[in-house]
Amino acid sequence: MRGGNDELDRLRGERTELENHYIDELVSGRMGRRDFLRRGSMIGMSTGLLGAILAACGGSSSTTTATGSGSGATPSSGKKGGTLRVAGVTPTGAVNPLTLFDAGGLLMLNQTGEFLIFDSNLKLALQPMLALSWKPNADGSVWTFTLRPNVTFHNGKQMTADDVVYTFKQLSDPKVASNALSAFTGVLTPDGVKKVNATSVEFHLESPNGNFPYLVSSDNYNAIIVPNGTDFGKWQKTFVGTGAFKLGSYTQGSGATFVPNPSYWGTKPLLSGTQFKFYDAQQPMILALQGGDVDVIAQFTPAGATQLLSGSTYKIITLKSANHRELSMRNDQAPFNDAKVRQAVAYSMDRTGMVAALLSGKGSVANDSPFGPRFTSTDTTVPQRSQNINMAKQLLQQAGHSSINATLFTEQYQEIPQLAQAIQQNAKQAGININLKVETQTNYYGKATFGNSDWLDGQMSLVDYGDRGVPNVYLVSPLTSKGTWNAAHFKNSEYDSLVKQYVAALDLQAQKQTAGKIQRLLLQETPIVIPYWIDGLTASTPNVGGLNPTSIAQLYLNTASMG
Amino acid sequence: MTAFILKRLGLALITLWILSLIVFFVGQILPGDPARAILGPLAAPSAVKVLDHQLGVDKPVIQQYWDWITNFPGTSHQYQAPIGPILTGALGRSLKLAVFAFIIVVPLGIVGGVFSALKHGKWQDRTITVVGQSALTVPEFVSGIVLILIFAVWLKWLPVSATAPPGSGFFTSLKYLILPVIPLVLILFGYIARMARVGTVEALGSDYARTATLKGLPRGVMIRRHVLRNSLLPTITVVATQTGYLIGGLVVVEFLFRYQGIGLLTYNAANQKDFPMLEACVLTIGVIYMLVTLIADISFSLLNPRIRLKAAE
Repeated sequence: MRGGNDELDRLRGERTELENHYIDELVSGRMGRRDFLRRGSMIGMSTGLLGAILAACGGSSSTTTATGSGSGATPSSGKKGGTLRVAGVTPTGAVNPLTLFDAGGLLMLNQTGEFLIFDSNLKLALQPMLALSWKPNADGSVWTFTLRPNVTFHNGKQMTADDVVYTFKQLSDPKVASNALSAFTGVLTPDGVKKVNATSVEFHLESPNGNFPYLVSSDNYNAIIVPNGTDFGKWQKTFVGTGAFKLGSYTQGSGATFVPNPSYWGTKPLLSGTQFKFYDAQQPMILALQGGDVDVIAQFTPAGATQLLSGSTYKIITLKSANHRELSMRNDQAPFNDAKVRQAVAYSMDRTGMVAALLSGKGSVANDSPFGPRFTSTDTTVPQRSQNINMAKQLLQQAGHSSINATLFTEQYQEIPQLAQAIQQNAKQAGININLKVETQTNYYGKATFGNSDWLDGQMSLVDYGDRGVPNVYLVSPLTSKGTWNAAHFKNSEYDSLVKQYVAALDLQAQKQTAGKIQRLLLQETPIVIPYWIDGLTASTPNVGGLNPTSIAQLYLNTASMG
Repeated sequence: MTAFILKRLGLALITLWILSLIVFFVGQILPGDPARAILGPLAAPSAVKVLDHQLGVDKPVIQQYWDWITNFPGTSHQYQAPIGPILTGALGRSLKLAVFAFIIVVPLGIVGGVFSALKHGKWQDRTITVVGQSALTVPEFVSGIVLILIFAVWLKWLPVSATAPPGSGFFTSLKYLILPVIPLVLILFGYIARMARVGTVEALGSDYARTATLKGLPRGVMIRRHVLRNSLLPTITVVATQTGYLIGGLVVVEFLFRYQGIGLLTYNAANQKDFPMLEACVLTIGVIYMLVTLIADISFSLLNPRIRLKAAE
């Protein structure tokens, strides 16, 4: 054991104050091994170093070094060759790294493009991709990234800091039609992206941000690194990136093929190629898998997929995800201006039944705050809210109502219309009569600004939120007083200041403490109801191995094989 | 005849222009915003504003219409690529599917309808009528899924998708189209057979048919020369009016069988507020519809000279 302590002391000597703090937390038992891996990777500790620290603390390391594997997935021992056929959603528009936002588009982006960091859902940790390491300054307002050397783009050009600086200046520029602005607004401006030298880049943030690495990771799906000067509008002609595969062909609305990149810096693909087929709905994808037309469905939802989920004919990869639905109530209008009425709605919900019936069990109950099992900072001591119709009725009475009538606006998307009906039926038992307005997504979102959108203006509004690696977006945009997606019109200065503290905190314990306060405040106020978290699902035929999906519909295939 | 055709072509051009105006201006009042459709509902408002400006959709509507007319067919907002190749590819695929469906269903429907009329009131007539009418009521989505489950998933005789791999030969492409064509045949058979049956029954009961029989013409000659010539007039109209459906209305079949035809392209363009693409698609479908109607009118006039003379007056 003494040997382990010596080793730990040696490792400690070269670490920063924050890194040593995490080691203290691990040694004291306040931080679990998984949390340590996740948090350590976020502040730039390499997986090799994390493994060495865990080993020195008395346990064997279960980590693998990501240095040579690209996406960080464990290389498959499957056989070489074969063309893998993948079913994906049809991209809704051009495959433009700057503008796209849809699942089909981002699946295409990640076939040839790579990020500074890979947010691995399989390993629940950030892993180096095009950045070898990253470090914050003392308060988390400046982050320095060291780039991987000897990486070349598919056009033969070497990747340098100039390419990284160009990419992030474009993504964070308000004068450019960048989709990443929803993540970078208030965090990063083009002036904050600075080249230090050929292999090092600094990000000077508008305010301290403890979770910044997630914003330059695969989590921020627009942020693939492209060559300096790239015309994003023409990117889909070349798909130029640094990834393990390069473009074979791309046919608008139909599909794409990719071939191995012989000069890839990481694990070379086992497959001799990949073929993507686009589908406009989930049912044809499932039929294609069943009929042997494809080998993999990149991502599917549990609703309407019982053929895949029941029985053992297909391999299913299940990823814990923060994908969720959010029911907002107008906190500024009667009757929902009384917290008791909002709580009554929350207590009427049968969350367990919803997970079983609507998600075929592929999800978990949520507790009316953006903190869930996906995030290490979640305070798990906060009690879970469950269905209690009597309590709901009492709360309604205390608020001075025997029953209330309300209108709920929502969108035609996945299982949401069925969820709206379940909410309607549950609420009715407590005396809350809900009139449903299920609209097309275009009508529901409208112009997505206050006064021009049923989503943001509706008395009750049920919307979808995709997966994120950290809860920052869910905490800020839909719930802070100036939040641009604050459909609940929730204004609470205590909440705003807690979120500011949370976003700035570098230390996990501080984040957890603040998270606990936020969770309790949101339970008390209940501006929104989040009934469940939805797992990310990928399906394949049994002979396919080494798939590396993420819960936002990306799929890395350099380790994939067909047995 | 030339005057008749020229008059019809002139009317078609005016109709197309009015159609373009309607699509363009009705499109303007659809909810949503082109840049918002491209960037997604959660994009930053500043990004939406910048992209709207780049696309030119913040200009006055009249100017947008003029820009579109002068740059026809232009560039797709959604795909950020020239419309021409995308549209012609989709149109080619739609035509292939439609022609294949017509080749099967038109003779089948006419033979079925005429046979049914000849067996008027007997069990063969009732069977064809009931089967035809029942098939007509089954939506393509239902018949399509049942066919896929039986022939692609269970028996594995036919592919699930309608899109043959690149470089496939004629017969391979045809094999991929068999499953998607069946739901169309099921729907159209009922229509065509019904019209052919009604026309034939009517013609068989007419004075000229009775006269032809009484003057001693063999039954086969009487049917071919006198009955079919008259009874197929309404059938031609039905076939012509179904062209619009077969070219632009196969969204469900294209959805289900993963077939990038013009129907799906139009549907997606409307959803994404991709005006240039939507306009080009609608006008293309309009042109085809008018051409087919024109061909139907000419066939009609060839079969019935009274129409030709009246129209040319």
